[in-house]
Amino acid sequence: MTDPTLIRNFSIIAHIDHGKSTLADRVLQLTHTVADRDMQEQMLDSMDIERERGITIKAQAVRVMYDADDGRTYQLNLIDTPGHVDFTYEVSRSLAACEGVILVVDAAQGVEAQTVANALMAMNAHLEIIPLINKIDLPAADPERVRHEIEEGLAIPADEAVLASGKTGEGVRDALEAVVRLVPHPVGNPDAPLKALIFDSYFDTYRGVVALIRVVDGSITKGLKVRLMASATVTDVEEVGVRRPANIPVDRLGVGEVGYLITGLKDPSLVKVGDTVTWARGGATEQLPGYREVKPMVFTGLFPIDGDQYPDLRDALERLQLNDPALVWDPESSHALGFGFRVGFLGLLHMEVVKERLEREFGLELLATAPSVEYHAYRTRGDMVVVHSPQDMPDPGHLERIEEPYLKATVLVPPDYVGAVMELSDQRRGTFKDMQYLSATTVELHYEMPLSELIMDFFDQLKSRTKGYASLDYEYIGYRESNLVKLDILLAGKPVDALSFVVHRDKAYARGKVLTEKLREIIPRQMFEVPIQAAIGAKIISRETVRAMRKDVIAKCYGGDISRKRKLLEKQKAGKKRMKSVGSVDIPQEAFMAILKVDD
Amino acid sequence: MTDAGPTLPRHLYVHVPLCRAKCAYCDFFSLTPDEIAASPDAIVDALVNQTRAWAERGLEPAGLDTLYVGGGTPTMLGDGLATLVSALAIWAGVGPDAEITIEANPESLSRSLVELLAMAGVTRVSLGVQSFDDGELALLGRLHDARRAQEAARWVAEAGLELGVDIMCGLPGQPMTSWRETLVRAVETGAGHISVYPLSLEGGTPLAAAVLIGDVPEPDDDLVADMLLEAENLLGEAGLARYEVANYARPGHESRHNTAYWTGAEYLGVGPGAHGMLDARTARTAGFVVPTEAARVRYSVACEIPGGLTMMPRVDVESLDAAQTAREDAMLGLRMVRGIDDALAAQAGVTGVLAELARDGLVTHEAGRWSTTPRGWLLGNEVFGRVWAGESRLPVPDVDPSR
Repeated sequence: MTDPTLIRNFSIIAHIDHGKSTLADRVLQLTHTVADRDMQEQMLDSMDIERERGITIKAQAVRVMYDADDGRTYQLNLIDTPGHVDFTYEVSRSLAACEGVILVVDAAQGVEAQTVANALMAMNAHLEIIPLINKIDLPAADPERVRHEIEEGLAIPADEAVLASGKTGEGVRDALEAVVRLVPHPVGNPDAPLKALIFDSYFDTYRGVVALIRVVDGSITKGLKVRLMASATVTDVEEVGVRRPANIPVDRLGVGEVGYLITGLKDPSLVKVGDTVTWARGGATEQLPGYREVKPMVFTGLFPIDGDQYPDLRDALERLQLNDPALVWDPESSHALGFGFRVGFLGLLHMEVVKERLEREFGLELLATAPSVEYHAYRTRGDMVVVHSPQDMPDPGHLERIEEPYLKATVLVPPDYVGAVMELSDQRRGTFKDMQYLSATTVELHYEMPLSELIMDFFDQLKSRTKGYASLDYEYIGYRESNLVKLDILLAGKPVDALSFVVHRDKAYARGKVLTEKLREIIPRQMFEVPIQAAIGAKIISRETVRAMRKDVIAKCYGGDISRKRKLLEKQKAGKKRMKSVGSVDIPQEAFMAILKVDD
Repeated sequence: MTDAGPTLPRHLYVHVPLCRAKCAYCDFFSLTPDEIAASPDAIVDALVNQTRAWAERGLEPAGLDTLYVGGGTPTMLGDGLATLVSALAIWAGVGPDAEITIEANPESLSRSLVELLAMAGVTRVSLGVQSFDDGELALLGRLHDARRAQEAARWVAEAGLELGVDIMCGLPGQPMTSWRETLVRAVETGAGHISVYPLSLEGGTPLAAAVLIGDVPEPDDDLVADMLLEAENLLGEAGLARYEVANYARPGHESRHNTAYWTGAEYLGVGPGAHGMLDARTARTAGFVVPTEAARVRYSVACEIPGGLTMMPRVDVESLDAAQTAREDAMLGLRMVRGIDDALAAQAGVTGVLAELARDGLVTHEAGRWSTTPRGWLLGNEVFGRVWAGESRLPVPDVDPSR
């Protein structure tokens, strides 16, 4: 165990792409935690997807030993947090394990929405914030302007902000000195019953669930019996240790220390992020504050293109869930798409990442339906139905009202684009709340908006209408009543359940029209004319037609062509197989996502 | 031994990989004289030697029913083409009924060459006219104009040879009026055989690239469909009836060589890029090593000219088992107006598929034969693809509209 006064627990927080992971790499190098020859980029982002997309999905903790200018060696625990708004709760738990943060701001981009959101989270957690202006080696770097933005916009003193470049390594030592000097050392009672916070977990095939923990009070020792308070589970401590970044077992972890805990539990749902670990006997009576159940916000149907892969899909989801307890699913069957699962996600990025991992790591070919949110449908008979899939929406005749989840959205944008943001938000049923100038170059706008509108391509639209300047953050604020209807799409006269969606009544006509037009472009010409209709209940509100294909023939077929043409026909057929046949209509995959791309 | 064993197929295709210039739409193997380091005589010698080599592999000639010299541009060989034809005819043996066809481009044909070919035993000339519009010919990169094509056609007729004319529709920017004009002029040549091809944009050709970058408009499928219907009507009125997807002939003037391709007959292919088809037994006799279950062997000669055309070239081999062979026969048979009989359909296991295609209006069933309908001619890939795949579409759950 280390003297708590020599421990500093801190996190690096930043808007996406501001260079957090590269900075973490430099910290590992500077402290010789990772040998140069073993170094790879974004060391702490272990998944391919994390590296490729430059995002952090899983939290990570690494202990580095730092020889400070004061001649003493400090134990620094760097907790790398997920960098995306989908994972806000995870971020908040990671921050709860720290006493301070390095707030990274890109020297060219300046303060952005997630900079603000992350800084606010750190402030609310009463953490010491060390501003760091990164990428000062960029030609477009303007540290003075950014310093000003941090002070004006975030009310964080920035005259001593660290100037650094993750790329060149400049200023990284200054940052660690600031951590040692400014971040308070952990304070806890070594004699009190154990209280340790679980801030993340992952699954190891051989060891079961591995929890990342921060000891607040008391200590945790190998061989003890411990209780996970929220999940009311008692288990043995098989091993505790520290991550450098490989797991190194230690005998015990004391006050302020960060490490890992292996209990032998195999069920990840028992090891919840935010839960408190205490002794089974004589343990703490109160949990650490801040725990909550993680709730999925966005739902989509995932169907294997090849129906035979249904069991494989289930196995793959179970495997992914081991490392991602936030992932939830229920079996779903669709007339159009066969058997699949309705899967709940924390947000759109989470959804994309999971789908990509299912396809890439498990070799599945999947069709995803347009994402939807959890609607609360109140029926006239007085009960409430939770609707995760538009096809489950009760008949309008039995509906009293529908409520949908609302968000508070924060948009940061240069003043020139305020009009564009307002226009887009109006189209997306946003209610303007307020607006303030963070600086001469940045305006912060607040809206209340239905989540269902935000998942409809909102972010891409926001980016394109503001030439990429706008940044977005949001938080969930609860359910509100909305005048919603279910819109059905009929192909060749038959409803295709997987194309149904819920929409505000005022927009139903416009969206139905645009969607049928979009589908007419996407659905290839078939052997027969295919009418595409949008309907609310029995009422058809728009119609388009895919004309019948008239010519599709390889005319030339002589001695030399026979093998070649046969292969061509096989290829053509394989192309059709990748589409979904509904009735006699072949529907390409992108049709099921067309609803997302409907510009207003 | 009383069993004589397999002999050389009675249909021979010889590929002359020579063109004066590459047409803008063509992806067949051919070389310009600059690219090929061999004289016409050397090419003729090589092709004859490569044909004879099959006898050394155990396939003795048993007489030819048809010989087809295609390309490329066989007429680029000049007088050598006549030498090639007579050498092959003498070696393999041809009867008085043999059909000997050469492919020709108008610009490389002359009255004297036609007469020479007739004397060498050639019975048919398939003339690559493509269009009677000079603008369209230029777009295709053809080296002749409409007048030259008409002249060449006249020489063929005057030499007493059967004339076939190839024409193309669906050219970028080609209006229906121009297509009609081409059809009318093709009929006026007196050809007994007319082939009609919609342009197919093959990847890697200059024309496909020009369409891709938008220099020329992409042909509209609906217009092409109308053009194909127009061809059927106009040629039909002129006495040329369709007998295959793309081929029309006056009665008795159908190409016997091409018909062999569509009816499962063995044929030998000689020359770079040529293809051949042998029964498995014949193939084994010729020294091919093929799987036990193979029933049919298709081979293609490498598109290369090794050792200055003196050596036996490399071939790629593909074998089909009995079921695949039957399905291939069914697929090819449905390319022809006469279609296939119930027995072949049953043998190929495609009776169910055909019933479905009949429901979709693509084939009909009459008097024990399945044949392609007018709708089926336009949507041929649906017919051929589904028959070749041999499987019905998967049953789909019915959508209950009350939901």
